[in-house]
Amino acid sequence: MLKINNLHVKLEEEDKQILKGVDLEVPAGKVHAIMGPNGSGKSTLSYVLSGRDGYEVTAGDATLDGEELLDMEPEERAAAGLFLAFQYPVEIPGVGNMTFLRTAVNAQRKARGEEEMSAADFLKFIRAKAKDLKIDADMLKRPVNVGFSGGEKKRNEILQMAMLEPKMCILDETDSGLDVDAMKLVSEGVNALRDEGRAFLVITHYQRLLDHIKPDVVHIMAAGRIVKSGGPELALEVENNGYADILAEIDA
Amino acid sequence: MAGLDELNVKEGVEEETVEAVKSLAGTYKYGWETEIEMEYAPKGVNPDIVRLISEKNDEPEWMTEWRLEAFARWEKLDEPSWALLNYPEIDFQDQYYYARPKSMEEKPKSLDEVDPKLLATYEKLGIPLKEQMILAGVEGAEDMPAEGRKVAVDAVFDSVSVGTTFQAELKKAGVIFCSISEAIKEHPELVKKYLGSVVPVSDNYYATLNSAVFSDGSFVYIPPNTRCPMELSTYFRINAENTGQFERTLIIADKGSYVSYLEGCTAPQRDTAQLHAAVVEIIIEEDAEVKYSTVQNWFPGDEEGKGGIYNFVTKRADCRGDRSKVMWTQVETGSAVTWKYPSCILRGAESQGEFYSIAITNNYQQADTGTKMVHLGRDTKSRIVSKGISAGKAQNTYRGLVSMHPKAKNSRNYTQCDSLLIGDKCGAHTVPYIEVKNNSSRVEHEATTSKVDEEQMFYCRQRGMDEEEAVALIVNGFAKEVLQALPMEFAMEAQQLVAISLEGSVG
Amino acid sequence: MSTAVKTQAALISADARPASGAWAADARADAANRLAAMGLPTRRDEYWKWTRPDSLISASADSAVVLDYEGEEPLFNDVDRLKVVFVDGVFDADESDALEGEGLEIERLADAAAKDIHWAKDLYGVLEARGQSPVVRPLAVHNTAMATDGVVIRVTGAVSRPVSLIYRHEDAGSDAILHSVIRLEEGAKLTLLENGPAAARFSNVLEVDIAKGAEFHHVRAQGRDHERQAITHMFSQVDEEAVFKSFTMTVNGKLTRNECVIDIVGDNAVAHVAGAVLGDGAAGEFHHDDTVFVTHDAVACESRQVFKKVLKNGAKGVFQGKILVKPDAQKTDGYQKSQSLLLDDDASFQAKPELEIYADDVACSHGSTSGAIDEEALFYLRSRGVPTPIATDLLVLAFLADAIEEIEDEDIAAEVTERLDAWLARRRD
Repeated sequence: MLKINNLHVKLEEEDKQILKGVDLEVPAGKVHAIMGPNGSGKSTLSYVLSGRDGYEVTAGDATLDGEELLDMEPEERAAAGLFLAFQYPVEIPGVGNMTFLRTAVNAQRKARGEEEMSAADFLKFIRAKAKDLKIDADMLKRPVNVGFSGGEKKRNEILQMAMLEPKMCILDETDSGLDVDAMKLVSEGVNALRDEGRAFLVITHYQRLLDHIKPDVVHIMAAGRIVKSGGPELALEVENNGYADILAEIDA
Repeated sequence: MAGLDELNVKEGVEEETVEAVKSLAGTYKYGWETEIEMEYAPKGVNPDIVRLISEKNDEPEWMTEWRLEAFARWEKLDEPSWALLNYPEIDFQDQYYYARPKSMEEKPKSLDEVDPKLLATYEKLGIPLKEQMILAGVEGAEDMPAEGRKVAVDAVFDSVSVGTTFQAELKKAGVIFCSISEAIKEHPELVKKYLGSVVPVSDNYYATLNSAVFSDGSFVYIPPNTRCPMELSTYFRINAENTGQFERTLIIADKGSYVSYLEGCTAPQRDTAQLHAAVVEIIIEEDAEVKYSTVQNWFPGDEEGKGGIYNFVTKRADCRGDRSKVMWTQVETGSAVTWKYPSCILRGAESQGEFYSIAITNNYQQADTGTKMVHLGRDTKSRIVSKGISAGKAQNTYRGLVSMHPKAKNSRNYTQCDSLLIGDKCGAHTVPYIEVKNNSSRVEHEATTSKVDEEQMFYCRQRGMDEEEAVALIVNGFAKEVLQALPMEFAMEAQQLVAISLEGSVG
Repeated sequence: MSTAVKTQAALISADARPASGAWAADARADAANRLAAMGLPTRRDEYWKWTRPDSLISASADSAVVLDYEGEEPLFNDVDRLKVVFVDGVFDADESDALEGEGLEIERLADAAAKDIHWAKDLYGVLEARGQSPVVRPLAVHNTAMATDGVVIRVTGAVSRPVSLIYRHEDAGSDAILHSVIRLEEGAKLTLLENGPAAARFSNVLEVDIAKGAEFHHVRAQGRDHERQAITHMFSQVDEEAVFKSFTMTVNGKLTRNECVIDIVGDNAVAHVAGAVLGDGAAGEFHHDDTVFVTHDAVACESRQVFKKVLKNGAKGVFQGKILVKPDAQKTDGYQKSQSLLLDDDASFQAKPELEIYADDVACSHGSTSGAIDEEALFYLRSRGVPTPIATDLLVLAFLADAIEEIEDEDIAAEVTERLDAWLARRRD
């Protein structure tokens, strides 16, 4: 599904290398987690994959189902099935959540040459999905993320994921700012979407999210590279001993 | 009406409104147009032309005199130059002042000759092919079966037919809704009493010119304690077939009455700039309320800034009675040049004025628009919400006055004016005048200027929208407060217009 | 005094202008010609919509009573400073300190102007002339042509103490025209203090050129003479990473118009201009006008305008402020605040806070409010036992605080606050 090969990325405006040769393959149906200390380049990876401005790829490539991702516009990547659940979802005043989602759903359908969804179908669809995530009608009517609590924002991200039915989901620090109940709710939403044809890349600083979203593979990222990969037990190791031990072991 | 089906899913929409909108569809007839289709006057303006217009409208002597006096005053006035507008000098003697079609030679012979972008615009508006041809000025299009036209106008907006269609029902309610020329003949006592009482003959250069040469327009009278049973509307269109250049609208809301009035404008002229100078006067008596909504989509000129309408409009509401209320809502997306300040004279105690505006300028468009809130009476309230969006090489200016007179005790004003810039070749300007002459009144003014937020753009694009869709969505969000102030059917049209107007502004 | 604006014809004549050396004579002749071309302001001018220029351009100054200060010390007396004293517009050598100081060259304008060659040539009337577009300021042009004195200061390094221009008013009919030129070289820093009413009628122009990385701090107190009239202009050019900060306190004065024209020409520069006004019309007319024009012509600069006016007894306040952002001035951060507190029904406030923006990556905003004192806050204070007059004054000072905070030096800010408090207290008794 997602293949990243020797990816090097620097900041566009300053001479600072952030990713220094990331290699990663996430096959369909699998959940991979990336853990790592602050500043290791986890979020940069998610932004570069989704096409945010401000980064320059200096070497390497990334493909989604064989398609070269890095040449595409952000919306083309979205239409190709890439979804990023943002760490800090942006507020868009004045734009109703429902209007936003409907525009997004139809834009993607159009890009894929599918029929636009009728208003009635859309309404049915979103109500069902929203109910699963305990998102009430009021939240759907309010402007996108405006005045949402941290938990509401993250639930809203998962709702969008459910609506857009992407192939490749990247969750960037989805657990940040969530209490236990909210984390459970969000995780259930994600788990409900786990599917043979869909892959997940879960970026997180802490192990606790991985108690709820069980990964197949855990990668440790440090200083712009993946330094160690392993099974779920690797996350527990981090939880118990912190990153220092692992990093020291690699340095040695 | 495009998007009609979507109405059902919008929450909070009264079933009544939806029904009203549906009933409006399919009723357009060119009532007043055919009448004047063949009228021509030579270029230029002079007392003879003024007399001719008066004569063509079969006007009584007092009206002719009124016009002539206006013309005499106009000759003594200079065209104002204070607005942040830059356009070639207008030769007022090089204009047609009465129903003058463009020469037939210039008309495209078929759709193939019509600028495809123009056609695409109409198509986006949901106007069927026949109407596109008529709007595009294709030769012979008007001779096609009436069916074509009938359907066509459903898609845009309809006006006069409402007057015609519901004449009986309106009459039963005591509402007078007719053309101003008809009103001059049928209701001279009302016209004499109110015409020029809000916008005096010599108010400003363009209004004075309008007073001399206005060809037609609408007249509305709502009797005391009457809620007008339906929304009234006028659809103005400048094209070869009719005279949209100098309309005059007079609305009188008598004590305790209510009316909502809609005005829509489009113009298909493609290469030469054309002058439009309208006057709207509204008189609002005790406890009465008037809502006046405009979607202005006059031809803005092409991408090179060629052609388009020069739009100089004087609109003013006089809240004469206590507790009277007026609400101006405008969506200005068209015209090459817009000079327009719908104003409120808050004379009655506890009277209220509101102004909601979206002005979008793209390519070489220029808009200098805003409002005046003149607080004369005690406990008066006003609210201004202005959203200016500037793209391409356009210039967009908010200009407004809030004036609290000494006797306007305990009055309030709140002004919010926000500008959004799309691209680095355009300009956004704010020129508010604030005058406070008593201390029990409170005036608050806030203004911001910013560009489209890159984070928001990225978020939308990550969810699959292209840049144009994303901009349209964000701009609609930016202008939400104003869109919400529009009647539902206009709001839908306005939202689409926002998208259309900003086409080509990104990327 | 010699220099009333008599007629335009009188201005053009070289005889009417102060005797000068070659460079100054040229600058004055140029100004006279410019003035003849633009004419004097009239009431019909948009830029004089709310302030009548008549008494500023009349043949002679209306006489203004010379106040005794009831023992009140002039402001900044405790500040260690280089004093330059002008009495009714004439330099007073006895009262002034020696015109010398660490890190700066300072000279009387009259002396500099008498020379045939002087560095001030590149500034005198030059920044003023540049500030004549897009709006003309004829009274500044007149000043350039006719100014009799002032100082020229060149700051080359760190200055040990502020320069303090002290204006005294001893002649009831004095009509003073002063013009000062200040050049801050790269990395230099200067604090300029100005205080006192200079004359019955006072025209003052300051031209301030701030080179890369230099800092200019300006605190001005326009005294409490209630009959004097003043028209001041400040023209400043702010270069890369330079800082311009100006604060003006005005308490009384029949007519005051402070025009401030700031041209930001270098990237990452900062320009703040602020004013606090207490206007009481009880002792006579009070009219105060702040007219500010900030032009952003460089990338990533910040400008602030913070103007607060407290008005009563028929006092009139005017604010005309503008931020112009030129096409390539991206990442501009511009803010404008103009607020008035009307303490009674006779007071009035007129404002025109303008934005004219031609660059897209900007954050510009303005807020303007006018209203009476917050009744809820007043009630809250009273319910805690504070008598109404004291509570009102507390709220007035709180209202002015935003503007006073723009003063960099905390001691000076405290002194200004104290002075305003004393002014309020005097009116309470």
